[in-house]
Amino acid sequence: MNPVLEEIYSTILPSAPFIIGAYALLWLVVLVYVFIIMRGLKKTEAQMGVLEEQLAELQEKYNG
Amino acid sequence: MAKEAKLPEAGQWPDRIAPWALLAGAILSTIGFLMAFLYAGPVNGAAVNGVEMIGGTMVSSKLLLSQKIFYFHMPVAIVSFIALAFAGYYSIRFLMTRQARFDTCAKVGMEIALVFVICTMVTGDLWTRFEWGVWWTWDPRLTTYLILMLVIIAYFVLRNAIDEPERRAAYAAVISIIALIDVPICYMVTRLIPSSIHPVVLREGGMTADMGMTVGVCMIGLLLVGFGLYRMRFRQVRLAQRMQAMKDQIED
Amino acid sequence: MAVTLRKPSTFQQYKTLLRKDLEREFRTREMLTSMGIYAVLVLVVFGAALGQTTPALDLLQVAGGLLWALIVFTSLLGLNRSFAHEKEQGCLEGILLVPLDRSVIFLAKATSNVFFLLAVEVVAVPLFYFFFLTGVSLASDFWLVLVPLLVGTIGMAGIGTLLSTITINTRGKDVMLAVLFVPLVFPLLYACASSTTALLVGAEGYMDVFVQSIALAGGYDVIMLLVSWVLYDFVISA
Repeated sequence: MNPVLEEIYSTILPSAPFIIGAYALLWLVVLVYVFIIMRGLKKTEAQMGVLEEQLAELQEKYNG
Repeated sequence: MAKEAKLPEAGQWPDRIAPWALLAGAILSTIGFLMAFLYAGPVNGAAVNGVEMIGGTMVSSKLLLSQKIFYFHMPVAIVSFIALAFAGYYSIRFLMTRQARFDTCAKVGMEIALVFVICTMVTGDLWTRFEWGVWWTWDPRLTTYLILMLVIIAYFVLRNAIDEPERRAAYAAVISIIALIDVPICYMVTRLIPSSIHPVVLREGGMTADMGMTVGVCMIGLLLVGFGLYRMRFRQVRLAQRMQAMKDQIED
Repeated sequence: MAVTLRKPSTFQQYKTLLRKDLEREFRTREMLTSMGIYAVLVLVVFGAALGQTTPALDLLQVAGGLLWALIVFTSLLGLNRSFAHEKEQGCLEGILLVPLDRSVIFLAKATSNVFFLLAVEVVAVPLFYFFFLTGVSLASDFWLVLVPLLVGTIGMAGIGTLLSTITINTRGKDVMLAVLFVPLVFPLLYACASSTTALLVGAEGYMDVFVQSIALAGGYDVIMLLVSWVLYDFVISA
């Protein structure tokens, strides 16, 4: 490659890791938030299970 | 008979479109991402001596790839500010009506704002690092977003420090309103004071049509992603709240 | 014999509340002395921080910023203390029983905070000059530094009163106030520090920078005081 072309393209390779890093981190942050939402949902589902048990007990007490 | 105001609730029409919004947002953002690299013209950096013919046009300066970060950096920053505005709006409605539902909306809005502000800081920081070789400069945009991030963190610290729900909601609402007013002031102040030590790094400089379109696509895409995330989180929080209410009722 | 009762005017209420705060402080002087001592201590810390700098260091460049850092730290202390005793003695509940417009409480508290801060600055600024600036020559209109001091103090007292009302009821009061105060007051701090530095350094065209910074700081004051006034009712009733 002649020197002028080299100079024109000179900043591309060194900047690549930063760009890839930026987009990757962006993606990561959004994924982390989605994980937080999922975790909250799982906790709520666990509580739902507990509530169903409690309700069953109450039903028994009422009927028995 | 007064019409009872409807409170924002999960499972309404916004939730039906939320997953689609997320999907659409993801697709649009990906398209924007590709456009950023394949379609938008590269931005010119410092001049080089000599001229070359590349792809049919005369190029006489370095081609910058790092500028491509901008296509996601600016939309993310704007979305975070919009999220802050929504949180402020819901805070005002809470203070006017004292309905706890609005406090939930405000809290989720602030969470979204936090997520997007972190994205802004990350992209902005990496961009600055490459362009100027330093990890941080006190230029208007980065500084304002740092302050925004600190205020949102302060909001959540405050929420954690108060136990009574009503007081917590009232104080948090006040803080989010002040934050909403403070951030534009911060931006204007850091931008308008002429400074000799910190050159104001402005990157506006005309945008060509293809750049504009790419930014637009990314903007809409990320807005949809933000909206989708907000609805999902709101739905999850509402579910947990209703669960807790039922649990309290049964234990009585 | 009929006794006529007339509700005191708002200004009367304001004056009474203000006088109560000022009288209490002048009787015990506890807050002023502690703030004054704190200011001296911060200056000593600055002295240690700048200990190894060579005489060639252009102290004028950083002096403006350091002065404002001093004022911010001292304000944080003062703002916390100004509400602490009210909570301890239960004064606040007593005041709230009176049927007055809550915003009057805000005005009275903010004014008393301004006075306290100004009183401390009267001590701190000459001390700052004594410790750091006697070796350098100052521009002729150095007295203009009173303007950013006044504008900045009013702004900090205003928003600080609102924030300290919020944080007095939370866990970790002092830290909470600092966490809320510093980001929200940042534009004001930046503008005041810029104007003070411009004045001290006296470089080319410094008057323009000075006027512009003061204008922005003044704008911040007006907006933030208005917002604090409006929101204070919600805060103190919670």
